[in-house]
Amino acid sequence: MSQFNFFQFGVPTHIVFGEGVASDFSAELARFAMKRPMLVCDHFLRESGAIGAIRDGLLQSGLHIAGEFFDVAHPASVRIVKELAFEAREQNADSFVVIGGGSVMDVAKAANILLTHGGDLVADYSGAQTIPGPLKPLVAIPTTAGTGSEVTQAAVLYDESQGVKLSFVDDYLRPHLAVLDPLLTLSLPPFLTAATGMDALTHAVEAWTSVQSNPFSDALAKHAIHLVMHHLLPAVIDGDDLDARKGMLTASTMAGVAFDHAMVGVTHAMTHAVEAVAHVHHGTANAILLPWGMTYNRDVCADRYVELASRVGITGKCDVDTIIQQMRQLVVELERKCGLPTRLRDVNVQKDQLPKIASLAAQDGTTVYNPREVDEAEILKLLEQAW
Amino acid sequence: MVYFKSSEELQKVLGGFFQLLGQHPQLGPKFLHSKLVVRFNYREPELSITADCTGSNVIITFNDTTKKPEVEMDMKADVAHEFWIGKINLLVALGRRQMIARGHIPKILKLLPILKPAHELYRQYIESFSL
Ligand SMILES: [Fe+2]
Repeated sequence: MSQFNFFQFGVPTHIVFGEGVASDFSAELARFAMKRPMLVCDHFLRESGAIGAIRDGLLQSGLHIAGEFFDVAHPASVRIVKELAFEAREQNADSFVVIGGGSVMDVAKAANILLTHGGDLVADYSGAQTIPGPLKPLVAIPTTAGTGSEVTQAAVLYDESQGVKLSFVDDYLRPHLAVLDPLLTLSLPPFLTAATGMDALTHAVEAWTSVQSNPFSDALAKHAIHLVMHHLLPAVIDGDDLDARKGMLTASTMAGVAFDHAMVGVTHAMTHAVEAVAHVHHGTANAILLPWGMTYNRDVCADRYVELASRVGITGKCDVDTIIQQMRQLVVELERKCGLPTRLRDVNVQKDQLPKIASLAAQDGTTVYNPREVDEAEILKLLEQAW
Repeated sequence: MVYFKSSEELQKVLGGFFQLLGQHPQLGPKFLHSKLVVRFNYREPELSITADCTGSNVIITFNDTTKKPEVEMDMKADVAHEFWIGKINLLVALGRRQMIARGHIPKILKLLPILKPAHELYRQYIESFSL
């Protein structure tokens, strides 16, 4: 539970869930003053044809598509945001509909700042609470069950000119509408299902133990953990298991709301560093590092972990190590089922990169929310074990 | 509640405290280790204080427009006072939009543990002023 005597909680994002709802959410669109949305997704989705039904649905709702933007490469970057904002302004767009995973959503969220308020993205808006007023309507339609970006107040962008990742954190960045359609996640391959699902689990576990957790974020984090532990393996084993897909999509959005309020901790600190140094996929790095992050916090939040016992499928008496072991077991199972790596060496992290990773992790912004002080030397020892 | 009646008073009190922090035998070196230029833009009353930690001493300047800060923080002077006496938590203040942080947020967040002993120093320091 939070060390603060104060907390606030709000989900301004309207969340709608349903099989096939992405092809018709006109009832929800009526809430927002949008006539000419810019449609944003990445090349992969465009080619998969998944956006056809969404486009048709928007047209039948009486909207005009101002333009379509598919040039969203990975990583989400300042340059791409500026291109999208330029395009949206050229096409006289008044809103965004963004379809995809975390990167593409972050790009659209940030482009919306420029379309609404103008200015210089990095100089005026990187940081916290820098946006002067509400943004134009933005509809987020996730196609992965992981990042939770459809409900969060953050966007992370790579700034080519400085060679650094910048964060943008602002209440106004939370999308207006999140459209959760489990059918869109059916085509997600097993490996990505596993990696993004482990990202969602890491959000929930770290929100649960964060120093900024509160009773509301706790409730969501706890249920998200339950849903992931229940549905991730079935979704990986059988991608067409609609119940499992529903569970995972719900879990990732719930975990998104939880960590949007409570923030994350040492696992994400290490993951951000591994991403920066060795360009490892975010969810994959979290999958490898979550059991180690939990090990790092073991002594300071043993009781909190034990409280999760029934949520992670343990009945009867258990201790903190049993819980951590259960997480490790999940990662091992995912390796067996879809080849998700379990060690840092498996994802091309070199042993001599570990000190650099430990140093960056100790400087990461998430460390202030971790229940145990993040010490560089201790992290290095942990990374060596994870390697 | 307005703690600082004028920009002059704000400069004297808070500016003076920043100078004290910069010269503090334990805290000063920690600020220098950050190698940061941070600017605080206060309103009600208006003043900006820039702390330059890039050299061998912490240099404090007022209404400085020449130095380019890596992080800028905007807030009411009252919020700053309440932060330094330890009444307001920086993360909460950001969450409530009582403070705005422009630039590389992790760099500011990393200063938080260093600032812990500064709150007690500030409480002692302001006893000599009739705020
Ligand atoms: Fe994440």
